[in-house]
Amino acid sequence: MLVEESIKSAISSIKTNRVRSFLTALAIIIGTAAVIAVIGIGSSASKALEEDIDELGPRTLSIFPSQRKRGGVSSGFNPLVIKDAEALAKNTEHNWMIAPAMSGNRQVKYQNNNISGEINGYLPINFKVRGFDLGHGRLFTDKENLGRKKVVVLGSKVPGELKKSVKDILNQDILIAGTSYRVIGVLEEEGSTGWQNPDDDLYVPLLTASQRIFGTDRLGWINVGISNDTNVDYVMMTIEEILRQKHDIGPGGENDFRINDWSQFSDLRRQATGIFTALIAGIAGISLIVGGIGVMNIMLVSVTERTREIGLRKALGATHKSIMMQFIIEAVLLCVLGGLIGVFIGTSLLYLFATFNDWPFAMPISAIIGSITFSALVGLFFGIWPAKRAAQLDPAVSLRYE
Amino acid sequence: MIINVKDIKKSYTVGTQEVNALRGINLSVEKGEFISIMGPSGSGKTTLMNIIGCLDTPSSGEYELNGSLVSKLEDDELARIRNKEIGFVFQSFNLLAKNSVLENVMLPLKYAGFEKSEAVKKSNEVIDKVGLSDRLAHTPAELSGGQQQRVAIARALVNKPSIIFADEPTGNLDSKTGKEVMTIFKELNASGQTIILITHEESIANQSNRIITIKDGLIKSDNRGTHD
Repeated sequence: MLVEESIKSAISSIKTNRVRSFLTALAIIIGTAAVIAVIGIGSSASKALEEDIDELGPRTLSIFPSQRKRGGVSSGFNPLVIKDAEALAKNTEHNWMIAPAMSGNRQVKYQNNNISGEINGYLPINFKVRGFDLGHGRLFTDKENLGRKKVVVLGSKVPGELKKSVKDILNQDILIAGTSYRVIGVLEEEGSTGWQNPDDDLYVPLLTASQRIFGTDRLGWINVGISNDTNVDYVMMTIEEILRQKHDIGPGGENDFRINDWSQFSDLRRQATGIFTALIAGIAGISLIVGGIGVMNIMLVSVTERTREIGLRKALGATHKSIMMQFIIEAVLLCVLGGLIGVFIGTSLLYLFATFNDWPFAMPISAIIGSITFSALVGLFFGIWPAKRAAQLDPAVSLRYE
Repeated sequence: MIINVKDIKKSYTVGTQEVNALRGINLSVEKGEFISIMGPSGSGKTTLMNIIGCLDTPSSGEYELNGSLVSKLEDDELARIRNKEIGFVFQSFNLLAKNSVLENVMLPLKYAGFEKSEAVKKSNEVIDKVGLSDRLAHTPAELSGGQQQRVAIARALVNKPSIIFADEPTGNLDSKTGKEVMTIFKELNASGQTIILITHEESIANQSNRIITIKDGLIKSDNRGTHD
């Protein structure tokens, strides 16, 4: 019943001084909102990152051509060629998926509409490695690749760019660099991965691209799809071994290609995001402590204002403990209310931010519970001293305080 | 004997000066007495009331309340004694402005640790006694001064104290409502309640059955049976 009385008295005191209570709690509100928003943005960012990685399909390594150095002097670009990819594909040790690709911009025309499109030469397996899904029609086959067939699969936005619906363009012939290609399929929307937008691209069989469009066997890159439980270091060693042999690089010679592990890159990005989030949340947390000082200040004012009331309560039998409890509960309540409002504002900010950036909305419950608990602790800590001053008032003197 | 005060002295230091507010008070009060303490301001009557009301402790001397020595107790023990043994009525009522009549009266019971239902029951009884049963949910601001003082009396009575201390209880009231309040005190006394009243009005003091006059920290006179 005493606790109930303390809570009632705290609510009544906060209500009586509405504006003052709000201003006092403002620092707590802003602090909590900042902590919540930052943690939320951090966790939404890493969730967005994870979704990106998932979209990449299975874990992917990418091999790029690189500069070859002889005696410290760069001797130009040494290409990756289709034969390199074939050599990799022959290796069955790792159960990997070798996805060589080349790409370049060419004019794409359908009826009266002209666009400049990124043409990708793909093997059928490339779609699987990239995790692309077919929306309409079909993908091309290995047989069509070997036959250098003039077929094309469009990214989901390409029909729109050509001012046609999917239905109107499917199974029609479009012109790529003046040659006509049959549209056999349209992909589902994949979304931008940050460095590429597959929805804007066109996909033709690799050998078709090599011989009919680009006139080269030089690859832009080779993606290597591996299952998630594969030993990445071992896979990389095997790739190096095969390509060095293929490129005739002797012992001590530098690689003329480089291998990227995208997931490693993501790990780094995730780590950086985590550190950054912790840092900003920590700084925001400091404002909670500053807010606590404001709460202490206003609680001291409240104790002075209510000297007579404290005197009366003591005269009626309130002990040291019960007076302390009354004021600590008031301070804690003020901070928790501030914390709740802050959580609401912070969550709203995150929601806006996530919607705006097309990120998933991920607010960890632990952040909400944690920041409200922290506000309560701030109230407890900064409420103790004013409460102690209240409890130590001399009843005989404070009863006659004017 | 409810109160037995032996040679109580109280001194304060105000700035660099030592003030001897009480310079050796001896006093005993029997159950059922109705006492007025009079004296000019600065005479020490407030200090005496603080000490026998357990709001303050003497510098020296002994004070027994209901047979137990209270002059050397700690703050929280004094708080418990105030809660159980003493009911205060103040000149300025000292009600909690935001609380209803019922909540104000219940306050001492909350500190005494009663269950809510029992506290409500006990409070209703005393509110009925002072004739404010129809004002339970009102806040002090909605009541007249006389009604507010009746609430304060109800609050003083609610934990069935041994003594009621009233410090100028009619000081803020007009003479008519002052009389009403005095009537309540007289009725309470008639039913056996011990009452100690502090006043500087002789007409009020004359309604009690023992008048103690204080001057310069000492008892100047102690007259019984001036009334009745």
